[in-house]
Amino acid sequence: MGVQTLTSPVQEYYAPPDSMLIRVEDLWKTYDMGAIQVNALSGVSFDIPRGEYVAIMGPSGSGKSTLMNLIGCLDTPTSGRYWLNGRLVSELTDDELAYIRNKEIGFVFQTFNLLSRASALHNVELPLIYNGTPAAERVERAQEALRRVDLADRMNHKPNELSGGQRQRVAVARALVNNPSLLLADEPTGNLDTATGVEIMNLFDRLQAAGNTIVLVTHEHDIAARARRIISVRDGKVARDEQVR
Amino acid sequence: MSAIANAQPLLSRSKSRDGHASFTVSAREAFWIALEALRVHKLRSFLTLLGVVIATTTLIVVMSVINGMNLYIADHIANLGANVFILDQFNWANTSDEEWIKEQRRNKLIRMEDYEFLKDNLQGYKAIGAEAWRGRNSAPVIRYRDHALYEVQITGETPSMMGIGQQQVGSGRYFTESEYEHSALVCFIGNDLVNEFFPNSDPLDKVISIGGQPFRIIGVAQTLGKTLGQSQDDFVQIPLTIFQKLYASRPGIDVNVQANNSDQMLELEDETRALMRARHHIPYKDTDDFGINASATIMGLWQQLTGSIFAITIAVVAVFMVVGGIVIMNIMLASVTERTHEIGIRKSLGARRRDILLQFVIESGVMAGVGGLLGIALAVIVAKLVDMVFTASVPASAVLVGLSLSTIVGLFFGIYPATKAARLDPIEALRTEA
Repeated sequence: MGVQTLTSPVQEYYAPPDSMLIRVEDLWKTYDMGAIQVNALSGVSFDIPRGEYVAIMGPSGSGKSTLMNLIGCLDTPTSGRYWLNGRLVSELTDDELAYIRNKEIGFVFQTFNLLSRASALHNVELPLIYNGTPAAERVERAQEALRRVDLADRMNHKPNELSGGQRQRVAVARALVNNPSLLLADEPTGNLDTATGVEIMNLFDRLQAAGNTIVLVTHEHDIAARARRIISVRDGKVARDEQVR
Repeated sequence: MSAIANAQPLLSRSKSRDGHASFTVSAREAFWIALEALRVHKLRSFLTLLGVVIATTTLIVVMSVINGMNLYIADHIANLGANVFILDQFNWANTSDEEWIKEQRRNKLIRMEDYEFLKDNLQGYKAIGAEAWRGRNSAPVIRYRDHALYEVQITGETPSMMGIGQQQVGSGRYFTESEYEHSALVCFIGNDLVNEFFPNSDPLDKVISIGGQPFRIIGVAQTLGKTLGQSQDDFVQIPLTIFQKLYASRPGIDVNVQANNSDQMLELEDETRALMRARHHIPYKDTDDFGINASATIMGLWQQLTGSIFAITIAVVAVFMVVGGIVIMNIMLASVTERTHEIGIRKSLGARRRDILLQFVIESGVMAGVGGLLGIALAVIVAKLVDMVFTASVPASAVLVGLSLSTIVGLFFGIYPATKAARLDPIEALRTEA
């Protein structure tokens, strides 16, 4: 199963330098709608260095969700290449992608996506379950992650016993628990009031300062303004790519 | 540098630590999810499991009743005594009427001469005895003073018969060789006669009349109790010699041979067969014209009977199980639909297809297994009730079979829904409303 190894000429030739966490190269995603074919992405390329804080912006229908799904290894491109942390992940199978999602990516969703019947602690444990971490270590690391988001006193609460901001912090703890190389947030403040949203964005700032690479997908300018770089997507293409801070 | 980074095999961790460990970890997680699902949906789960519960209960109750009857038969009916076989005019385990008619036509009575012959020529037996029977309905009246008893089992016995069968002396003694040889008018009686004739006095040395002949009571047997509602204690035994004088029209006897151990049984049976065939001049191609019967013969006949009962049960249980399995599959499919969003979350966090597959297969298996446990519990109760009026004994194997069968059914019928769950696209699944 050593899928991509030294022997792959493509990889050797194109592989990005180690300082680049992400390299996206001429990424296309085409949906076959029967009679017509819709290009959700039409040749997107960019690099994201380690430690970067990037916002991906764009109106709905711009292809930013598709791009996020590809970066999050939830989907594979129709063509093009995607390297994540030195690995060419654009041509992996489902289960290999699951492995990458588990190891390299921490998701934070707009709707939190917590398991409603499980406690905060168990929710944070989930990624560790899927890489076979033994129970004792799992609990310890999940507790540590919850402490990092200031939820040490809410560990045994279920999501419906937590406020929106607390739920999102559980989600952030879950995203961080496996020490992923990339934190991928999809409209993380979309379901929060302004004050709580700011609180979450402050948490992101802290995480970025601590060395995490963050990719933020949003359509809100003031949220995107918190990032250091904004990639604007329009009609499936990168419209603008600017360093803002 | 990047090439070196790539040189690290992608799934190296998956092979070392993740491989086995993640299986057990995610299997354990799946197990807890399953129990949680059962806890949350108690009524739904119960209704779902009804088929499996009924199937398991049926299986175990039938197994228990058959097992109970087996024990009973082995204990009470097929128990000829330890390592004993009986030479009789007929084979007791005839399977067809045709055979039975044939035997009635050609088989010869076993006579006293045969007994004497075997006693002298058979090698190495522990004990040999003979007895003759009178049917209850042709039994002579037994009287003591103004009391009369009818339809009592009367047999003639050699003194050696004590100790061959299950019978034990309760009080007094059994016949002596001398009484046997002199056709003494003595008898050995069962407890029912004591209760009837001598409720308040000692029966020993009292004289009762059997068909008009006075017999002195020399011993009373230990109580045997009832078998299938028939008392085993209403009998009178007299020496075989006097029996044959009084009832000369019934010269047929049984010869009971007791071996020293079970290994010697077959040897002695073969030897007896050879001796009897020689004595009856049977050509080597012909079948025996006598029957050699052992406990195993009776058990064999019985097990043929229960075997067909059991086969029918298996068929019924199989139908129940399939129906139960389909119901489980149906509810699991509903559960997959209901939990599509959850599957999406798990997948986004790194659950592979096999993790999801495992989760649902285990859930289905655990659910059916719990159904099996319920079925077992129910069966134990039913078996207890049956045991009160009839007989039933839950064999340990039934519990194992019930639990494993139901679990296997659950696992099997969980495969399809689990496969559906495992194949869900994570994006689509996440998009589904929770």
